[in-house]
Amino acid sequence: MANPDLDGADAAMERYARGDAAAFADVYDAITPRLLDFLRRATRDASAAEDLMQQTLLHMHRARGSFIPGAPVMPWACAIARRLVTDSARRRRVERRVFSETPADDDRMTYDPTAATTAATAAADDLLHARRLAWRVQQRIDALPELQRNAYRLLRQEGLSLKRAAEVLGTTVSAVKLRAHRASVALRAALREAEEPA
Amino acid sequence: MSVELRARVLAAAAAEASPTRADLRRRNLVIGLVAAASGLGAFVIFAVLMSEGHLLRLGGEVAPHHYLERPVGLVATSVGGALVVAATAVWLALRRGRSMLGRSRRRLLFGAALIPFSLLAWKVDCSIAFGAAMVAWPERPGERCLALSLFVAAGPLLSFLAIRGSAPAQPALNGAVIGFAAGACAWVAADLWCPVAYVPHVLLGHVLPLVVLAGAGALLGRALLAPRSR
Repeated sequence: MANPDLDGADAAMERYARGDAAAFADVYDAITPRLLDFLRRATRDASAAEDLMQQTLLHMHRARGSFIPGAPVMPWACAIARRLVTDSARRRRVERRVFSETPADDDRMTYDPTAATTAATAAADDLLHARRLAWRVQQRIDALPELQRNAYRLLRQEGLSLKRAAEVLGTTVSAVKLRAHRASVALRAALREAEEPA
Repeated sequence: MSVELRARVLAAAAAEASPTRADLRRRNLVIGLVAAASGLGAFVIFAVLMSEGHLLRLGGEVAPHHYLERPVGLVATSVGGALVVAATAVWLALRRGRSMLGRSRRRLLFGAALIPFSLLAWKVDCSIAFGAAMVAWPERPGERCLALSLFVAAGPLLSFLAIRGSAPAQPALNGAVIGFAAGACAWVAADLWCPVAYVPHVLLGHVLPLVVLAGAGALLGRALLAPRSR
């Protein structure tokens, strides 16, 4: 299904590549919501996501002259963002090693029990359950092999088509299908486990 | 979405000049000319240093002069075919097709495998057709051709990487194909210069540099073409 925002982004990027400086604001407005969403999911850190989004857009800005007329912008933006996420994670790991810091697993997804207390009604249990479930699913997504996790995120969470996801991941459509299917099977199993009474 | 973030990103973009498509086309034309000049210059320097007379002095009686002479038809056919392969390789390495992410992994791998294979097959086929060039020549194992190819290809390799700019998907594979393209250009120079088509010589002196350049291209591609976070 065509997304008018993204079609607008492609046209705006084409104008920007030709030298219309004002078109960058249109590119920003059209792609940022999905891009930021993608980065927040990938980093689970709002400020890191914003920083990486700025870097992604600056990469696009620097490479505007190489933009191919008629090419879709979003898979390109996602591919740059994905590469920056990987590079930034690698950099952080190196920095941690250099400064001998303990691995900060707790800066990833954290469950905040105080949030549930705001719903001081009968729905509090449901909310708590839903959050625990979401947390468990997120943990399961994190535990997936990287190839499956990336395919799942691009297809299910970013809503890219199989062809675009395959382009972003640099592989074939059937490989993306297989990876996403395996990820879905693993997540369904995790959900079943979570639903079963202890 | 934060208004402040939007303002910050737009201000950062405005503060940093970036080439438009027309600017980039001009810049790439200049880089392409520099690549051609560097390859040609390297070839001329090498040809002077390693001229036939010089080689004969080195080889003495084991390298009689008639071995160094090839029929014009053989040279034209062999070099012409290599030029077509090199042009195709440069097109494959530098053009992205219709997507900003470049060509698919399958196409790149296919191209990477086809470039050395087709160059080798063409050289051997032409030489078999013309006969004498396939004569064994153990005194010239191919180290000079290896050096010539690497020397000639260095400039084009760096220039092609600069023209490609960035490759967010598969930077190492794109770099390897760029290495093969630079190597294919150097193959043309080596083919012009070298009369030997003895297969062990061709493998060491002509095919090995392609592999070395592809490896160097992969490493450089990973380092230079992949977007890096600050």
